[in-house]
Amino acid sequence: MIELHLLILVIVVSFGFVFSYLAMKEHDLLKALALSSVQSTFFALGFYILAAPDIVLAYLAIAVGAYTALVILAISKTERYEVGE
Amino acid sequence: MKRDALVAASFLVAFLFIAYAVTAKNVLGLGSEELRPLGEFYLSNAFAHEGLTSHSPEVVTAIVWNYRGFDTLFETFVFFLAIMGALSVLRLDKEQLRQARELEKSMPHRQMDLIVKATTKLVVVMIIAISASIALHGHLTPGGGFQGGSAMAVAALLLFAAFSKFTLERKGLTLKQTISAYAVGLALILVTVLAPVFIYGGKVLEINLLPGETGLFNLDVGEYLAVAFGFLSVFLVLGIPEWVFKNVLRRELND
Repeated sequence: MIELHLLILVIVVSFGFVFSYLAMKEHDLLKALALSSVQSTFFALGFYILAAPDIVLAYLAIAVGAYTALVILAISKTERYEVGE
Repeated sequence: MKRDALVAASFLVAFLFIAYAVTAKNVLGLGSEELRPLGEFYLSNAFAHEGLTSHSPEVVTAIVWNYRGFDTLFETFVFFLAIMGALSVLRLDKEQLRQARELEKSMPHRQMDLIVKATTKLVVVMIIAISASIALHGHLTPGGGFQGGSAMAVAALLLFAAFSKFTLERKGLTLKQTISAYAVGLALILVTVLAPVFIYGGKVLEINLLPGETGLFNLDVGEYLAVAFGFLSVFLVLGIPEWVFKNVLRRELND
C-alpha cells in the first residue's frame, strides 16, 4: 500500500517537470517565466510534503516573487522574443 | 474608513477561525501522533542545553545554527557581493541621477484601475504582517530572517507593480534610505557576532553567551532588514527604464 503523501509527491514533482520542460521550449520569454513560476509552485508543494517548511517559505517568496520580478526587469531591458536557430 | 475597519475585522475573525480549526481541532488531519524514526532522532538530538548552542527550542533553527552556522554566514556574504555588484554595475553619479529624475518626470504617467489598487493595499498589509511574524519569531517556528525578508521584498514589488516606482520615491522610499537600512541590518548582525568577544571574552559567533535567545533574535532581525532592503535597493536601481539610462549615458558621451 503506497502512502497517500508519497503519491501526492510523485504527482506534484512530475507536474513540475512537465512545466519546466514547457518553460525551456517556449520562445516568448514572458510566457516562459510564467511557466517557470508555476513549476516552482509545484516544487514548493513537494518541499512541504518532504517536511521542509522553512525551505517552502524561502522558495515561494524567491521563486515566485523576487526571481520573476528580476527577470521581468531584465526582459524589459532587452527583447521579449527569443530568436535564432 | 468605517468600511475598511469592518473588512479588516472580518478578515481577522476568519483567520482566527481557520487557525483554531486547523491547529486545535485538527480538521485537516495535519498533526498526526506518530513520528517517523528520522524525526524522532532529530527531536531527541537537535536541541542542546550546554556547549556551543544557539538556544533555539525549534529543531530546524537549532540544526541550522548549531551545525550549519557557517553556511548561513557565507549565504550572507554571497548576497552582499551580489548586491554590491548590481549597484556598482548600474551606478549613476549625482548629476546623472538628477538628469534621470527629470527624464522620468517627463514620462507619461499610467495608472492601474481602482480594483487592482484596493486589492494590492489589502494584500500588502497582510504580506508585511506575515513576513514580520516569520522573521520575528524565527527562533521559535520554521523560517527566519531570510524568509521573512524575501516575503517583505515581494510586498514592496506588488506596490511597484500596482502603483509605480515614482509613487514610492515620492513617499520617501529612495535608494539612499534603502541602502542605509541594509547597512543597519548588516551592522546589527556584526554587533551580535562580535559582542561575545568584547563583552564575555568568548569566540566570534559564540552567541550562547548572550542572555537567553537575544543572540538568535538579533541575527533574525538583522537578516530581515538586510535581505528586505537589499532586494529593494536592487529593484529600485533596476527599475530605472532603459531609455533613461541610455539618454543619460549618451549625454555624458557628448560632453
